[in-house]
Amino acid sequence: MNAKQIHRFVERYLDATGCAILEKSPAHFKVKLSPAADRELTNRPYYWSFVDRTGVEPETMTLLFVTDPAKYDAMTAGADAAGGTSGSPAGAPGTADQAGMAALSRSFGFVPAGIGARVPRDDLHFGSRRLEQIFAAARRGGRFVCLFQQPDERALHPYDSLPCTPWLGVNVKVGFVCDMKREEMHAFGVSLATGAVVEGFFDRLQGMKLTPRLPANVHVTGASLSLKRAADLIEQALARKLKAYDYGWADAANERLKEELAQLAHYYEPLIESAGEAQREQIAAQYEARREEIRWQLKPRVVAEVVNAGLFHLTGLA
Amino acid sequence: MHSIPRADRGAGGAGKSPHPGVEFVFDRSWVDELAERAARNGPWDDWMLFALAVESERAKLVASFDELQSLRCLPAFEPMPHQIATARKVLREMGGRAILADEVGLGKTIEAGLILKEYIVRGLVRRALILVPASLVLQWVRELNQKFGIPATAQKKAHTWHADFVVASIDTAKREPHRELLLSRDYDMLIVDEAHKLKNRKTSNYQFIQQLRKKYCLLLTATPVQNDMDELFNLITLLKPGQLGGQSEFVANFVADKRLPKNEDRLQEALSAVMIRNRRSDGGIAFTRRIVRNIEVKLSPEEKALYDAVTGFVRERYDESGRDLASMLSLVTLQREVCSSRDAVFVTLFNMVKKTAEDSPLRAKLMELIEVIRRVRANTKAEKALELIRETGDKTIVFTEYRATQEYLLQFLKEHGIVAVPYRGGMNRGKKDWMMDLFRGRAQVLVATEAGGEGINLQFCHHMINFDLPWNPMRVEQRIGRVHRLGQTNDVKIYNLYTTGTIEEHIVRLLHEKINLFEMVVGELDDILERLEREEQPLEQRLARLVLEADGDADIRRGIDALGRSINRLRADAKRASSGRALDAVLPVLSVVPDGPDAAAEVRP
Repeated sequence: MNAKQIHRFVERYLDATGCAILEKSPAHFKVKLSPAADRELTNRPYYWSFVDRTGVEPETMTLLFVTDPAKYDAMTAGADAAGGTSGSPAGAPGTADQAGMAALSRSFGFVPAGIGARVPRDDLHFGSRRLEQIFAAARRGGRFVCLFQQPDERALHPYDSLPCTPWLGVNVKVGFVCDMKREEMHAFGVSLATGAVVEGFFDRLQGMKLTPRLPANVHVTGASLSLKRAADLIEQALARKLKAYDYGWADAANERLKEELAQLAHYYEPLIESAGEAQREQIAAQYEARREEIRWQLKPRVVAEVVNAGLFHLTGLA
Repeated sequence: MHSIPRADRGAGGAGKSPHPGVEFVFDRSWVDELAERAARNGPWDDWMLFALAVESERAKLVASFDELQSLRCLPAFEPMPHQIATARKVLREMGGRAILADEVGLGKTIEAGLILKEYIVRGLVRRALILVPASLVLQWVRELNQKFGIPATAQKKAHTWHADFVVASIDTAKREPHRELLLSRDYDMLIVDEAHKLKNRKTSNYQFIQQLRKKYCLLLTATPVQNDMDELFNLITLLKPGQLGGQSEFVANFVADKRLPKNEDRLQEALSAVMIRNRRSDGGIAFTRRIVRNIEVKLSPEEKALYDAVTGFVRERYDESGRDLASMLSLVTLQREVCSSRDAVFVTLFNMVKKTAEDSPLRAKLMELIEVIRRVRANTKAEKALELIRETGDKTIVFTEYRATQEYLLQFLKEHGIVAVPYRGGMNRGKKDWMMDLFRGRAQVLVATEAGGEGINLQFCHHMINFDLPWNPMRVEQRIGRVHRLGQTNDVKIYNLYTTGTIEEHIVRLLHEKINLFEMVVGELDDILERLEREEQPLEQRLARLVLEADGDADIRRGIDALGRSINRLRADAKRASSGRALDAVLPVLSVVPDGPDAAAEVRP
């Protein structure tokens, strides 16, 4: 993800969670969080449990998200110079704060920037903790949806009713894991009416107009498949697809696993044999622990993890 | 995800395997929840967030087994080519179990951080334990957080063990009740710094590390072999039992003598599968230059009188003692202190007075010397140092051997409007860190008596004044090493202050001109000094004898020249030996080859 993509991403997240953007440029957002976003991002469980128990009006935090630090710094430096205002870029702590921060960091080794400042600043580069947190929040907040395709109204006669078919859409992340790892994403869709399975389902959905409420002029046709059955179909489709892959990496990992187990056996078996009664058990336990570790490290496996899933009622697809 | 901890391994819906020998797990935990929400018609999540979730997962996807993924996540910092090459080798060829044995100062911490980060990004490590000496805990926490964005926590209270990435001292970790807790857990990665402390199988440290359960493991040490071959065997066996065979096999195959390997080629091959050692001399590792200036200081007549009086006193005592060197070392100190500051001499003299009997004739002599001290008003050297500090106008570190001189300098600089802070060995950790913060911040000068001890990394400063020079060259090198290290982007300017017509002049000549200390590399010096000690006395003692016995300046000069020659001879020996069959010679070839064209193709996006 480059800075621009991150900027777009964050903008949509803030929009989706109903945050109030106080200030924005192509390089930053200053934002007053919505309660929902504050719960996700500010790590204040005690505050929120206090709010929930007492019912007081919550005071959410204001954060500064910088998506392009170089540009933002240049911009604020320019503004400071022009306006003749004293002080450094927004969010710079005062000297008392600074001393406090220094003391904290001496004790804990590290204090994230931003704590203590009036408007904490976060630079959102790819891999930064704040962006990771927003990613995780998006994932938690977007797990299951139920949506309806909005028909093109102009083409519709007011007294007509369009049938729409329920589909199960599932986004799967497939990991090929040994001591190393590679990943792929797959988006499957299963028609709950016919059991037809399609791939690339998510990208198809993105081209459609979807709404959470049943639109007028649309009626849902019955489903003939259970969700369990649909999940089976997806699993089968995925398994079929995976069969055609190259498993050289897995064979190599199994080979290494065999070698390493042999090496362990070569070391431990004579040791156990020659050990005294008292020690034998201990050495044997250590041997087993090492074998466990090696399997844990090397055993090749394919793990399909579902990112999110939803029911989609589509008029175009049967 | 995917680094299936032992507890739930085998759980979940294991489906039909797509390939023999490969387990296939299809996550079905979502089916029931979706069905339940459908049955109750909600609550449903937001479509935008749903789409963003997919988008973020796509962005984070690990597209390839081989390519380092972590590099695109580290905008704050750029690892050096040999560090990247090391990380890549540990990932690709060593399966995440390795001994990182780079020479001092090449950034083993960075390499370990990079490897850890890579596994985290790939979702293969979610919980790691980092065991280091107590004095390094906070430094590790800081580096992992600032350089790598890894939320590492220093272990302070019992509950901090439950954090995902914990840095702790090994001595704490191995004690109950911590020990039991740690042994009951699975760690995706274990990192042990200063792993040369794990060379003896009978120690509690060794046994504790052996019992920990871990998937990946990194052991860091600059000196994988110090004394004998057994240590090497123990260290490797801790990481990978059987890599060198059983104990008796190892002895039969690889040990010619306690300190001497045989079948080096095979041994090297076995080692290179688990160990990486980068050396400064391998090239591709760029250091900035050291610019050394020796600054002459002419003593004022009063100071000169004091120097002469002390010299006379010291030699008199030496002759009286029947030339017994052992009892004279404190007196030699006196003579060195006199080159530093009158305060330093005064403290030592004062202590001597306290120890001598009321009626001893010695006492009168000491009081006489104290009288001479009174006449000294100014410190010519301190004035010179002030001049230098003003000239550079930049962060400067001043090293002195003596506490009293340190106090004096702090006072002196303060009087002249320069903000200076102290640093010494006796300070506790917190205070040391505080002083470092101040020096990083508003103080211009750090006056330090201690150079040893890890933890002072002063890359942000590139001016260094040796207010007085230690007679032990290792200490000089340690001082320089604080400033001149990886990450220093400027040439380092070193100023040696020396007083003419005193022993200092000779020391500077020996260290700088004769043995060219300031251009040597760390490992080399170490080796030479060890040889010197094995042959005769330590360098410091030889210097002391020279000073006490020499007959006039010309005599000292001759002695220093001779000393210089013998050091240079040892240096030549050392060079020959390290290319020969010495124990350490097994290691050098294990370094990572500097980036080839294939690696060069992989640059950061």
